[in-house]
Amino acid sequence: MKKLTVAMLVLLVALCSVFAGGAKETETVVTKTTTTVPAPQVTKAEPEYKTDYATNSVNAGSITTVLGSSEGGEVSYDYYKGVAGKDYTDPAFYTFNDYTSGTSNMKWSTHTWETADDSAILDYITRGFYGFELSDDLEGWAITCEMASELPVDVTSEYVGKYGIQEGDTAKAWKIKLNPNACWEDGTPINADTYIYSYKELLDPVMKNRRADSLYAGDFVVYNAKNYFYAGQTAHQENATGAFYTKEDLTVGADGQYFTPNGEPVYLAVNYPLANWLGGNTLADYVGAYGDSYFALETWAELSALADAEGLVPLTDATYALYAPVTTGNPAWGETEADLPAYFVYDQTYPELDWSEVGIVKTGDYELVYITVSPTADANYYVPYNLSSTYLVYEPLWEACKTYYNANGDKVSKDSKDIASISTNYCTTVDTTMSYGPYKLTYFELDKQYTLERNDNWYGYKDGLHKGQYQTDKISVQVINKHETALLAFQAGEIDGVSLQADDMARFGSSDYVRYTPQSYTTKLTFNTDAASLTARGTQILTNANFRKGFALAIDVNTFASSLTTGMPGYGLLNTLYVYDPFTGASYRSTDGGKKALIELYGLTYGAGGDYDDIDEAYDAVTGYDLVGARAAMAKAYDEVKAAGIYNDEAVTLEIRVYQSDDIYVKMFNFLKNALESACVGTGFEGKVTLKMTVDEDYYDTMYSGGTDIIFTTWGGAAYSPYTVLYQCYCDASDGSGNQMEYGFDTSKVQVTIKADGVDYTESLQKWALWASGDADTVITAKDGSKLAAFNDYDPATKADFFGKLEYAYLSFFTTTPIYYRSVASMVSQKGDYAVKNYIDLVGFGGIAFYTYNYDDAAWDAYVKSGSLNY
Amino acid sequence: MLKYVIKRILLMILTFIVIMTMCFVLIKMLPLPAVKEQGRDVQLVLQRREAMGYNKPIMTQYYLYWRHILLAGDFGVGEQMYVGQEVTKIMLTKIPYSIVVNLYSILIAIPIGLLLGIYAALKKNKWQDHFISTLVMLFYSVPSYVYAFLVQYILCFKTGWFPLTAASREVAGFFSWTMFRSMVPAVISLAFGTVAGLTRFTRAELSEVLTGDYLLLARTKGLTRNQAITRHAMRNAMVPILPMILGEFIGILGGSLIIENIFSIPGIGNLYVTSITVRDYNFFMADTFFYTLLGLVAGLVVDLSYGFIDPRIKMGQR
Repeated sequence: MKKLTVAMLVLLVALCSVFAGGAKETETVVTKTTTTVPAPQVTKAEPEYKTDYATNSVNAGSITTVLGSSEGGEVSYDYYKGVAGKDYTDPAFYTFNDYTSGTSNMKWSTHTWETADDSAILDYITRGFYGFELSDDLEGWAITCEMASELPVDVTSEYVGKYGIQEGDTAKAWKIKLNPNACWEDGTPINADTYIYSYKELLDPVMKNRRADSLYAGDFVVYNAKNYFYAGQTAHQENATGAFYTKEDLTVGADGQYFTPNGEPVYLAVNYPLANWLGGNTLADYVGAYGDSYFALETWAELSALADAEGLVPLTDATYALYAPVTTGNPAWGETEADLPAYFVYDQTYPELDWSEVGIVKTGDYELVYITVSPTADANYYVPYNLSSTYLVYEPLWEACKTYYNANGDKVSKDSKDIASISTNYCTTVDTTMSYGPYKLTYFELDKQYTLERNDNWYGYKDGLHKGQYQTDKISVQVINKHETALLAFQAGEIDGVSLQADDMARFGSSDYVRYTPQSYTTKLTFNTDAASLTARGTQILTNANFRKGFALAIDVNTFASSLTTGMPGYGLLNTLYVYDPFTGASYRSTDGGKKALIELYGLTYGAGGDYDDIDEAYDAVTGYDLVGARAAMAKAYDEVKAAGIYNDEAVTLEIRVYQSDDIYVKMFNFLKNALESACVGTGFEGKVTLKMTVDEDYYDTMYSGGTDIIFTTWGGAAYSPYTVLYQCYCDASDGSGNQMEYGFDTSKVQVTIKADGVDYTESLQKWALWASGDADTVITAKDGSKLAAFNDYDPATKADFFGKLEYAYLSFFTTTPIYYRSVASMVSQKGDYAVKNYIDLVGFGGIAFYTYNYDDAAWDAYVKSGSLNY
Repeated sequence: MLKYVIKRILLMILTFIVIMTMCFVLIKMLPLPAVKEQGRDVQLVLQRREAMGYNKPIMTQYYLYWRHILLAGDFGVGEQMYVGQEVTKIMLTKIPYSIVVNLYSILIAIPIGLLLGIYAALKKNKWQDHFISTLVMLFYSVPSYVYAFLVQYILCFKTGWFPLTAASREVAGFFSWTMFRSMVPAVISLAFGTVAGLTRFTRAELSEVLTGDYLLLARTKGLTRNQAITRHAMRNAMVPILPMILGEFIGILGGSLIIENIFSIPGIGNLYVTSITVRDYNFFMADTFFYTLLGLVAGLVVDLSYGFIDPRIKMGQR
């Protein structure tokens, strides 16, 4: 037996030797083969941008600049034509099954709508004067004529002396030719009278329609719309949006209260919402929320006790003396006495006004003139944009849906002289709804389901301009309150899309059917790099840029984002939502400048001798994850920190502070801990550096004082203003006194060189960022005295190029590393799909117009029953 | 008896008024949603609130509220939810769904609960009793939404025997087979709790009755065990059980927030909570009116039913 065992062991060892030897032999052969083929004589491409951590300097390559046009950009009218045959002419029947979480607030009238659910129905049953559809290249949008038959024409000069228009004014009066084929779902034509009636009703002073402000709030204000709406009434006027009287402009009455030059009483807004100055909040809201952190409260109690039921206090010298210290006495609130008039509110009496003085004028049966208070700049884009909605109501139905009340809330007749208010149930049921869009409401069951079917009287099915669109015959929307139920319904093929939550991502995150609707926020991992605070904490290795780089490159952001969040993997400061050219809707991230920033950051190359053929291929290959590179950076960091004497092989535990310790945060922490420890493998840090998590609701404040090593940070900005965020959020102050959370990263000491039109311009990163934010006083000057133009004077592509270089410069120090772009994730069905996979602002994924089907209803039922449905 | 009934009704009215008054004052004292969430024109929002009478003194509003109800039967229109639509109309649209699903649930749960309770009592302290008691404890202690998700996953998603959500009236009438089939998962989920409660109660009552001296007497008179149980034990045990069943029937008007949400049943269950969240005064008060009245009437009916079920119980007598 013993002999047999020995024999078997010998045999086993022999077999292992054979296999091991075989493998070696194969390797040898391969080596021989490769050495016999001469290597191609191509120079390996090198990254163009370079960052030198030792000197805190960045060479961000070169740029050829182009100045922009003073008249604004060009808009596109070349819209996507869809897929031939996959449109309303398709004889098969297609139902789009959707869901919503509730219909309790639904009233989808153009005059009273409020919620996203309301606007979802409105999108189907109405059309604007102009539409924004996918552009033909599927990269942005194009403008189409819908309820208007032609583009708006500036006729301001024809109205001089009327509607507040003076000689020389332009871009205030716009002639709109109406679409003569537009009609209600019952075939009743829609003409200029329909518009005049509807807009007059919208501004009806007694009805006080929720959407009346569509005509007088914002930038595109119809002349006299607000005056008509408030005609004959006295209403409070916020000084900040009105005359902005200073105290010196006012007169004192007998009782000590101040009055405007028109004799109207003035108040101080204590607990009164200020739409402009405080974003609709009251000062009391802010005082309640922030207390003495931002305000001086010695006089607050006495002042607030004087407020009337509306939260106003009459402005007198005494009340002013109580008010002034509150907002000016604490520097944290950042206001001076010059800002105090913004808290004034005065009474304004609106004179009686006839409708004929309102800037919506019928000039023909199918022609309107739309007159605004202010001229509209970049009119080729902004006028159609502001006219992308219409507010029409069907007169017989609208009148029938009104209920009249007196001041005590008693119902009264339409002819009563005591009418104090009017309510309407227009657009709350099928019977009270009238469509003028591509679909009409055919079924509505409260909190259960609604159905829309093709409106055969819609002009778009007859004019030939909408070929390639609207393959969907029917839209059925179920109310499903519970996410879990919706998810099951989607997997059972009952609904054709479902939104996802973070917990669903482990199951669906890697599916081809996931779509992301980006928000403007990027979540990053931000490091404290302040030597003093890190030394005190014993984590000074974080001051080493290669260490941070090693950690950053070891984070597999694709896996992180797809398994732990509903966001998209984040590689840069800005995501695809940010539009670099507002006239076309194209994304900054799709520009060469935006792409190159990330390609260079993550060390990819393209072109001759590069890793990839072209910039698009290289950009598509960016993952932000490079474990080999991470370990190389860590090894380098180890040598550097040892040489600098800030690390002596002791164990170091870095701290990450998070808002809470729920399951998802714990998973995120473990992911990052593994990444850090993995990056250290094979380096001097192996087994010595780790990560711990601390829960801290005030983790931002903690970082602002250098009290931790790492936090998650999230910044976002306006999608149409992508370039201000770098200065405002990342470069304004490294000591925690501003918005910047990269504590210790002093961008005024980072020198960035950009060769523009052959001239080297070197300035601090902070100054570059300020310049790129559009600051007119900041000038970038070269050593030879050459000056760059103001940032906003360059054309959109040049601005994107410049910003890409600065984005690279900032990120290359790895004081912050993007993890994911915040998004709303959803699934699309195998039944069909939208026109584009990447969300585009204004047009989304193309909408229902361009939704095309792989299966009609019957085929889909059969497919689902076959059990093949799998996501 | 009549005197007792009148006294109870008067007390009921007083209680009703106190509850309505308290609820009206308390809801009006809650702050309204921030103006900034209501629109871009602050003044417009404030004027709309003025027009809805929100700035009148609370007691004036309360007086007007009752005046509209008593003189015109008008509970008002939705101000934040179902805006502009009559409150009563909306409630009447939603109540039938709640009634149907709860009615089916009770019709299934009552016989099962009674049978299990009786069987457990008859097999007291045997393995059948232990088994049923364990099941009952399980049904009783695990929240209904857990059953609901399990039922939905297994009976609807995995096997495909039933639809995931209740049918809409676009495709099925209230008492159609399609509607019934679509409601089975919700009915089963709701029934678990009722079955558990009824089984436990029936077992306890019957067990107690079975140990009574009069049952021993009945047996000594020559009745068989089954005869003694059906003629004497069951009758006495049913005295407290039947009012409980009656209460269940009245409770079907109340709806079930969680079950209705899971199975997308547009019942009345979540109306009350939502009306408080969004500060829709008219809906809140109409709900309060409805539920308070329902609760008080149910209490009265159950109390009175004791007298009808067992003539030995004399109402209002010392």
